This record gives sequence, structure tokens and C-alpha cells, in this order.
Amino acid sequence: MTSGTDVWKGYLLAWNETYTLIQSPFSKGDDRVFGADSDYTTLAIAALQHRVSLGDTIECISLAEGVNGSIFTMATDVDVADESTYDSCKWDLLIGDDATVVLVQRDIQIELPELVTFVEVDEDFHLAIASAWEKELQDAHVSQGAYVSSSQYNEGGVARMALSGQQFGELLVWPPRQLNEKGDREDGRVSLTPTGNVASWTKLSASGAPSEFSLRAPLLGGLTTVFLDLDDGPKGVFLMVDDEDNDVKIGDAVELVVRRIYAQEGMIRYGLRGRII
Amino acid sequence: MVDVAVVGAGQTKYGNHALGLKGMWAEAALNAFESVDGDFSPSQIDEAFIGSIAFGGSQLGNTAALLTEHSAMDGVPVRRVENACASSGFAFRDAWMAIKSGQADVVVAGGIEKMNDLTPERKRFWLGVSGDTEWERLAGLTFPGTYALMARRYFHEFDSNHDDLVHISVKNHAHGAMNPLAHIQKQVSFEKAAGGFMVADPLTLYDCCPTSDGASCVILAADHVVKQFTDTPVWVRGSGASSDRLALHDRPSITQLKATAEASKRAYQQSGITPRDIDLAEVHDCFTIAELMATEDLGFAQRGQGGAFAREGRGMLNQGDVTINSSGGLKSKGHPLGATGTGQIVEVFKQLRGQVADGRQVRDAETALTHNVGGSGATCAVHVLGRERQ
Repeated sequence: MTSGTDVWKGYLLAWNETYTLIQSPFSKGDDRVFGADSDYTTLAIAALQHRVSLGDTIECISLAEGVNGSIFTMATDVDVADESTYDSCKWDLLIGDDATVVLVQRDIQIELPELVTFVEVDEDFHLAIASAWEKELQDAHVSQGAYVSSSQYNEGGVARMALSGQQFGELLVWPPRQLNEKGDREDGRVSLTPTGNVASWTKLSASGAPSEFSLRAPLLGGLTTVFLDLDDGPKGVFLMVDDEDNDVKIGDAVELVVRRIYAQEGMIRYGLRGRII
Repeated sequence: MVDVAVVGAGQTKYGNHALGLKGMWAEAALNAFESVDGDFSPSQIDEAFIGSIAFGGSQLGNTAALLTEHSAMDGVPVRRVENACASSGFAFRDAWMAIKSGQADVVVAGGIEKMNDLTPERKRFWLGVSGDTEWERLAGLTFPGTYALMARRYFHEFDSNHDDLVHISVKNHAHGAMNPLAHIQKQVSFEKAAGGFMVADPLTLYDCCPTSDGASCVILAADHVVKQFTDTPVWVRGSGASSDRLALHDRPSITQLKATAEASKRAYQQSGITPRDIDLAEVHDCFTIAELMATEDLGFAQRGQGGAFAREGRGMLNQGDVTINSSGGLKSKGHPLGATGTGQIVEVFKQLRGQVADGRQVRDAETALTHNVGGSGATCAVHVLGRERQ
């Protein structure tokens, strides 16, 4: 098949040999809008992951403004073009003003299909979530939550976004450790398959949620966290996407997708969230 | 090698305390000093270890020096011990080791936490700092959530359900209702505990310990000086401790705490006893599921039988195999994080000496165990204490 439409990482997808179109599935009236934890960066990562899934080798792309380049690279291991490398990049990531991104081969003319939006969001909820993110992003907003500095966050970024683990002999380890069990420093980086099954789960009430989430947890009715047995062996805990819609049970198959987690000091912290498949 | 005994122990009431950090510590220390049967002076103290996370809005660095200054222990070598909720369990172990090493004869171990002088937002900060910050916290977890994951998995793997946790809550409230030092001194019915507000599904408010202020202090002495202080010491017969991976996802199982199993195994071996010899145990029930799993990890119930153990009331005061949490446990007595470990020692010290009011006294108590866990099980200290030296 050389073209098609589908759902990909929780987004709407259309593609052919030359482009991948990713759109948010949510609408508010006639407008397409982001879900509770998505933005152009998460859409862009999903678009690149789709091209990789088709077998394309993409070493660098030019990114439109509005996409966080360092997060994009952490999640995809693909370089973002600067002035000196722009000409050598063969792919451009373009964004629309309606929760849409297109990853397209340079200088190719394309005609994009219309994708049907399938989830109408509550207008009040959508406004409240957007407002909460805005407040959370203000420099003046200092969470009382456990502090993960930007340095600490970035150190674990590739593991957090690309599920990068380590192979210590027979043992596959994720999240990575500084030293292996023999006390040696060993990289052995491998990327884990971002799928697993729910071994346990909980829904934390808004009042019990970490204070990093204090603005959004009440709007979402709490936070759903799953404990996953990843298909490759390691385990992990993850928030679910678009939290208010989840109904999880043990044994559910889940894929991990990059989404917003929370914001602090003007910086959005992205990470993997679970999505039932 | 020298044997070690507890010769004095005291604590404050746990709860929403009017006193601040200095006042609470002074009260606990004074209660401990006054509990010594013979002559005792704080000037006899060689060393001190004080457990605390330094939760409240007061002294963060050099907390221990401030506290000794206000408890007539000027000049005593002291340090703050931090191992999350197991801080003073480890402070007690450090005190025991200091005497065992021959470097000290009289040592104070204690703990303190002032938790209710903060806004709810700030409290939530501190309540989450001892889990795995980088991975679990970013997955939206605080400790209620972490233990909820354990509970749901436990119910899935074994013949157990939330009712078993309710039995634990009801039991500990029944015990705590008789303890004048407990934070929540009231019984709760099964129906009420079963229908509590859902904090972290499947755990309700009645599965979670309260946020308490409190301080506790115990005095340990080497065998060759014990006689100066009392004819009825409580001997420390075994001290075991262990640690585990900080995050749940790095552990082979989330339905048992390896650190508890290893710490208790060491403590039992050292004391030469088995779980069947324990008359009472103060168990770290920060959440009811924690007590359920601990009954297995400590050897009171077989693996997978913790639910039945709770259901059948086998931990009830003077009714079951072993009295579990005669004080009311963390659930009812309260959980001022840094104070909890040595607070457990205070309870068993008084129980083993027959100094607890009639209704709550464990009959013929000879041997006791304390079990203090840090966070979701990354650290654990277990102690076996007895009326007999060996």
C-alpha cells in the first residue's frame, strides 16, 4: 500500500510516499483543537515516527516554529536542521493553525485529504485546560511539586521519550542505570518497543495528585496511572493520554506515545503516556 | 560483643500539635528521660541520632543540633538521619550499632516531624519527595497512588479484595481508640471504612494514614551500664535492615517488599527466634495494603495469605496469632514521618514492661518486633526486642 488513512498514536493520519499528515482528532465546533496533553511538538514526533515505521531513513528535517526541537530530537534521534544543514535535509515539518502537522519531502507539491474529526470536546473543558496550561507555563508559576530540574529532566530525556534502555548481557534494563551490576559503566543503548500490558493501575483523586498537576487534575477528575509490563521485558509507570477518557483494566494492551506531562519554570516537560490499543 | 537494651522511651501525642519542632522534641525527650527507672542525666548521653525528613516550615539544615540544644544535650555528637519514613528506624539501628561498636555506652535515638504547619500544596510536595521523583512522580504518582498499584495487583494475584484492607483499618482504629497518644482515637465501622472517599483507586481515605505531627525518643544503653538505669530493660535482640530499588518498576514483584523480607530475616537470625515467637508487632501500615503485605514479608502469614490473615482477625489485640499494631499503627496512632520508627519502639518498650493501660496491654508480652519502612519500600529497618536478654 502506498497511501492510506488511519489512527496513529492517538491522532488522525493520512500518508503517501511523500508526506505524512497528522491531525488532532478533537474538534470544538468547526475548529480542530488539541487534546488535553497534545501540541505541535507531540504531533511532529508522531509524524516522524510514522515515516520511520514505513521504513524511511530520515537523518534531519527542518522544523516549523512552534515545535520544540530538542524534545523532537530526544524522542526521534533525528537532527533538526539549522542554517548550515538546511540544504542537506530532505524533509520539512510544516504546521497548520488547526492542530495539524505535515511532514513532507522538500519541493514536493501535495494535495492533502480532509480527515474526519471524531471527538467533539466540551467547550468549557477545553478552555479550562488551555488556560491551566497557560498558567502552568508562566515563569511566575512555581509548582510545589517534587523538583526535577531541567538538567535532570534532560539527562533522562532519551529514555523518557524514545524508551531508550540498556542491554547488560542477557538483561534489558529500562530506565537506564549509571553502572551495571558489575559496577562498570556500560551504554549498550537499545530502543524498547513502546507497547505493553497493564499489570496494575490506579486513578488518583485530584486532591491526592502531585502538586505539579494541581491546575489540571481537578479538571480531569484525577489522574490515571498504569503500571506496565513492557513487551520487551522491563516495567514502567505512565500516565494515560487525555486522562478523562480512560477506563483501564489489568491486561489491557497499551502503546506509549509522546505527550505533555506538566510545565515548570516556563518549560513543558514531555514524556511517554499510555494509550489503550 | 556488648548487648544493648532500651532503658527509657517517650513520645508526644501524635496529631495536629500545638507545639513546634523544638517544643515537641523537648517533650518527647523529657518523657524519655523521666521514663528511666533509676537516676538519669542527659549529660550521660554519649551520642545521638535523630530521624527526620525536616518536613515542616522550620529548621532544614542542622536540625539535630537545634534539637539537642533544646533538650539538655549540648555538646552531644548528633546528626539527623534521613531515610524517608524509616528515618528513625535507622536512627535506632545507628544508635544500636554505636553501642555495639564499643564507642558509646548511652545513646539517644529519636525522631520528629512537624507536618501540619504547611499549606496543603506544600504538604503534597513533601509527601512526594521520598518516592522515585524522576519517573514515578512524573507519572502522576504520590504514595497513595504507588500503594494503590500494589493493592490492585495483589488483589489480581491472590484471593483477596478491598474488604481485607477494611478489616485492617477497622482493627487499627479499634486499637488506636484505646491509645491516648494516638492521632485518631476513634473506632470506625466496617461499613464506614468500606465506603470512604476514594483517594487512589482502590484505596480510600480509611486505607491511608493521617498527616501527623509528633516526636519520639528512646534511650539505649550498653549491658555493662544498664543496671544504673533499670532492672527491667528491654533488650534489643536483633536489628536487621535492607534496601531495595527506589521505583516500583525496577522490582521483580510489587506485591511484596523485598527490603522487609530481608531485614526481618536478618533480625530473626540475629535474635535466634522465628515469627511464631513474636507476641506483638508494630508494623508500618502507612496504607492498609502495606500491613497486609508486611504480615507475609515478616513471616506471620504465608505468601498470598495476608488477606485471609486480616479477614480472620489474626492480628487483633490478644485474639489472634500475634497482636499487630496495638498502638493503632500509622493508620490510627498517626504517622509523623521521622518520628514513626522510634515511636514504634516506645510502644513495644511499654508493652514489654507491662506499662500500657489494661484494655490495650498485650497479655504475657515477652517478645516484640518493630517494622519501619521508607517510602514504598526502598529502605526498611526491623528490630526484635524482648524482656529476656537472649
